[in-house]
Amino acid sequence: MSDMLTTFTKKKEVDTIIRDTFDKVVVLRFGRASDLVCLQQDHILSKAARDVSKFATVALVDVDSEEIQVYLKYFDITLIPSTVFFFNAHHMKMDYGTADHTKWIGAFYAKQDFVDVVEAIFRGAMKGKLIVNCPLPPESIPKFQILYKDV
Amino acid sequence: MGEQHENENGRTGTKNQHQQKKKKKKSEFEFCKACNINHDQGLRHKYFPNHKKSLSTFLSRFRKKLSDVRFFLNAPIPLNPQLASRNRFWCVFCDQHIDELNSSFACANAIRHLASAEHVKNLKQFFWKYGGAADQLDAFMVSDDDVDKWEKKCTARKDEASEGSRRTVIGPSSDEMSIRYLVQDSPELPLVLPLQKFALVQIIFLCKILQLDVVAFLSLMMVDNGQVMVTPVIKRTHWLVNSLVRENGRMVSGESSHQGVQMVTQISTGSAGGKVFSEEPPPWLGTTDEVQMRSSNKLGKSKKLNSKRVGAAWVEKRKIEMEKERRGESIRNECDSNWLPNFGRVWQSGSRRESRKEFEREKQKLNVETQSEMAIKIKPYVSKRMRMDSGGDYASG
Repeated sequence: MSDMLTTFTKKKEVDTIIRDTFDKVVVLRFGRASDLVCLQQDHILSKAARDVSKFATVALVDVDSEEIQVYLKYFDITLIPSTVFFFNAHHMKMDYGTADHTKWIGAFYAKQDFVDVVEAIFRGAMKGKLIVNCPLPPESIPKFQILYKDV
Repeated sequence: MGEQHENENGRTGTKNQHQQKKKKKKSEFEFCKACNINHDQGLRHKYFPNHKKSLSTFLSRFRKKLSDVRFFLNAPIPLNPQLASRNRFWCVFCDQHIDELNSSFACANAIRHLASAEHVKNLKQFFWKYGGAADQLDAFMVSDDDVDKWEKKCTARKDEASEGSRRTVIGPSSDEMSIRYLVQDSPELPLVLPLQKFALVQIIFLCKILQLDVVAFLSLMMVDNGQVMVTPVIKRTHWLVNSLVRENGRMVSGESSHQGVQMVTQISTGSAGGKVFSEEPPPWLGTTDEVQMRSSNKLGKSKKLNSKRVGAAWVEKRKIEMEKERRGESIRNECDSNWLPNFGRVWQSGSRRESRKEFEREKQKLNVETQSEMAIKIKPYVSKRMRMDSGGDYASG
């Protein structure tokens, strides 16, 4: 299913989609095509991409690329798949109830979960908010642990 | 001598009594209808200039009311029972109200009253008392001949209605009659009927009788001297709106025929001294167009994006830059290759800009470390013994 969506392997491509997309949510999935959980996530994203095409753009980013390493460090991506959201070149956060508010870690259990998250981010962005509450119940959010900085 | 003295006394007494009587007579007051005042001037009041002015005004006002009655005298029109209450008439000479509740034609009772002997008697008495000119009596009366003609027309009208065959009101004979009417009565009766006498319903009623288009009739009405004027029918197709100017409300009898001829020519040519209605469209059509325009404008409006959304200012700047790039004015800088979005990191302590700067510092540190390692590796090898010898020489020396 990864073939259905555009995959970026260069930094310039990622910069362009973040900078030149206006009044739409940019969804960037960081992962690799060979990972099983990433495949599950990509499947859900590809099914929902058409339904949310009016207010969101979905793209995949390959973590094995050399140029993308800058973004992996900048975004503190240590677990894959990680999904990051941008609106008008501004990073959109969400309070998932976990320690990390900057990205969605793991795969969505259902297509509707992804649609609800993107809708909440879009509505909040149109009101001028940079961080919004997660509309999903706690059971639908994957659990994970993160270490303090470089420990 | 004594007798003479007595006679003189008697004479003076009679004189005194006579003077007292005169005073009593002078103190009596009388009401003048024309001037609308109580005066103690006696019979000579009617020769005063103010009284004459008031009288002429009074009579001209009543003459205007009579013109309405004369219109129906020459052209009898059936009266609708609903409008009978409005078609009443007050005679100032007889001091009585004339109603048309039982009459089948308009102003029927009024016409009969004006021809009655009682009215003539009251009219003459009024003129004797208030000093009107004798030659004006005919203007306020209706002769028996006119009444007979009117009755014949009414009978003919009833016959037409009973037969059921509707003829055109205006024919060659009607034209002749109307022309004659103009010639005879034009100097004294203006061909203008103020709309105050006619309600809208009555106007529509008239149009139906005369088989005219109501809308066309209404559109031809004009406002003249503060009153809406309607002229009687001259042509079948449409009405002529025409106002006749009078000089000081008086007409000289010698020039009556001349002016009558003039008026006939004016009406026929259509270029009258007053205002002539032109073939303009009604004003309410333009208003409708304006309303439609406004409504269409409202529908055309479109929504705008919220100006408070995230990155609104950045979007505007970015779009301007893109336009410049298309024109070829500015070229993208190589610095953009190092561009990074403002990202709030996991362990963010300050603003997003600060987190980006922090990341850039970390990046620089890595580069420095790499360079230092390379430098260290490049150094040539120095054996321990060489170092000791050089060190010993230094220590001993």
